Amino acid sequence: MDRAVQLPTTSRTSRRKFPWGKVPLYVILIVSSLIMLYPLLVMVLGSMGSNDDYINNPNLPIPYHFSIAYYQLIMTPGATNQSGGLYAGVAKSQADFLRLVLNTLFRITWYLVITGYTSVVGGYVLSKLRWKGREGVFTYMLSSMTLPGIIYLIPTYVMMARWPLAGGNDIFGQGGSGFINQWPALLITGLVNVYFIFMFRQTMNAIPIDFEEAARVDGANTFQCLFNIYLPMLKPVFVVLFINTFVTLWNDYIWPLFVVSGNHDLMPVALGFQFLAMTAAAAAHLPPNLPPYGFQFTVGVLTVAPCILLFLFLQRYFVEGVQGFAIKG
Amino acid sequence: MIEAPVRIPPAAILPESRLSGPERFRRWRQRNRQAIEAWVLMLPLLLYFSLFFLFPFVSSFLISFVKWAGMGPPPVWVGLTNYVRWLTDLYYLQAFANTALFAVAILLLQTSIAILVALMLNTKVWGRGFYRTAWFIPGLTAASVMANIVGLFITPGTGIFSLMLTKLGLPDVIFYMRPDLMRMVIIVYSVWRGVGGGVILYLAALQSIHPEFYEAARVDGANRVQLLRYITVPLLAPMTLFVLVTGIIGTAQIFEAVQFLTKGGPQNQTNVLMFAIYQEAFSNGSLGMASSGAILLGLLLLVSSIINIRVMTKGRIQD
Repeated sequence: MDRAVQLPTTSRTSRRKFPWGKVPLYVILIVSSLIMLYPLLVMVLGSMGSNDDYINNPNLPIPYHFSIAYYQLIMTPGATNQSGGLYAGVAKSQADFLRLVLNTLFRITWYLVITGYTSVVGGYVLSKLRWKGREGVFTYMLSSMTLPGIIYLIPTYVMMARWPLAGGNDIFGQGGSGFINQWPALLITGLVNVYFIFMFRQTMNAIPIDFEEAARVDGANTFQCLFNIYLPMLKPVFVVLFINTFVTLWNDYIWPLFVVSGNHDLMPVALGFQFLAMTAAAAAHLPPNLPPYGFQFTVGVLTVAPCILLFLFLQRYFVEGVQGFAIKG
Repeated sequence: MIEAPVRIPPAAILPESRLSGPERFRRWRQRNRQAIEAWVLMLPLLLYFSLFFLFPFVSSFLISFVKWAGMGPPPVWVGLTNYVRWLTDLYYLQAFANTALFAVAILLLQTSIAILVALMLNTKVWGRGFYRTAWFIPGLTAASVMANIVGLFITPGTGIFSLMLTKLGLPDVIFYMRPDLMRMVIIVYSVWRGVGGGVILYLAALQSIHPEFYEAARVDGANRVQLLRYITVPLLAPMTLFVLVTGIIGTAQIFEAVQFLTKGGPQNQTNVLMFAIYQEAFSNGSLGMASSGAILLGLLLLVSSIINIRVMTKGRIQD
């Protein structure tokens, strides 16, 4: 990023010569950036005004009647699932924002812990230990990526539904609904992530064995080497793992749609948000013929904000994650 | 590999056969420490991985040959019927055609815009961080949520486009009844979300071009267009190949935009494979169709996937 930033010419010359040639460039950059941010801008503005503000001026809903009532109602625990009336059916389903967030955070934490462990251990074993079969195991794991993930979607769903002795199933997986609409369906797939293992392996390949050998001379065992020597050096990789996991799971829609559509208590944010606006509008006793724009925008802001905030704080690592450790070699 | 120094017990000088059992085990363990640790650590991972890789992998193909709702009556073997239906029925062929159209259109637009923006951002401009952030942020949003918001923009009567048309004195357009417009909306929305990653990739590629190339060319009297034509473009070619080949994996699995904006309509004109697969599995209760559709989509993307792994493992873009 720094290469284009060069020392400025002296201030006198830069004041004398205004860079007219660059005006079109700036116009294009600024306008295009604003276009990119436009849907988010409308969302943020729309979430802070009244429904009238939006209906009167939908292309830029300036909040003349500024209020954070939408946020208050949606963020209040339980507020959105106590209403009756038109949306009673939906309301009973407990589309409660805090609940959705906690569900998602629980899932993210679980995956961070488990995939963090499997990735670092897998990376270590495949990189630093010498054993027969290392290349074979590595190739075997990589080969799973040959076919696109879409192929595993349906059979994994069937696997969840036909899991033996779960959710009313018998030993052959018949009779019940297995893990469908239950927590395990959201928690037991993809705990060994080949891409992350690969990422850790590549990074560990670049760390000389000398560190570990020195520690072993001092009497350290494998786990001590792993935790005291490698982990501190792998911090950037962990940040990339954290970001990838967080953004992917926070926005995860398809898999939860497949397996927990019938249980609002387990839904993650990206799936449950659809029901929130409606239940919130019902809780606020908005007239049912009026689409709850304000609530839709508020839910949108709350759902989108965490990933964007994460990006603003950890920009450097995001860039690293996109570029991939692979491309850098 | 240096081991931790161990005091050599007197027994060590004895031949192996004369050692006691525990002592022989201890020596064996010491000799094979790395292999033992590797298997102890790796075995649980491998078992888990195999369960969630081999089992779905095999059953995916099996399910694709049966007629089965997932529960209720047992599966009935129907041979290639599911595949034949995907490849002959006009309804499904439309989904194939739309997927191809969307994937190619989104990818080309996304890539060309990403190159242009990266080129602009690679110059000495004020506020680079802001532009870069603005271009990257849409990709971080939940596709499902933002598709919902975009849906509001095209609502007849109160959407932005309706308002603009009304202001210009033109008749209102009902987007949901116009396949051509809905296709455009889906493409524009997907490009909006997907372009940021490309910008970052191209920026990195541009910054990795050694400035000496440009200096040398400038000394030889090349102008800016020539610099672009003979240095930048050729050096970006490998990255472009990579972005196009691997990008197709993502764009061909377009789903949320279709689900939230059109549900495949009007008249199936914007249906895509992922959405058709989803409907087969959950609306039509036909896991066989869903699975065979997924396999067909997977086979179409096979080449891209293989190239993707090659790039990953070889650590470079061209061989």
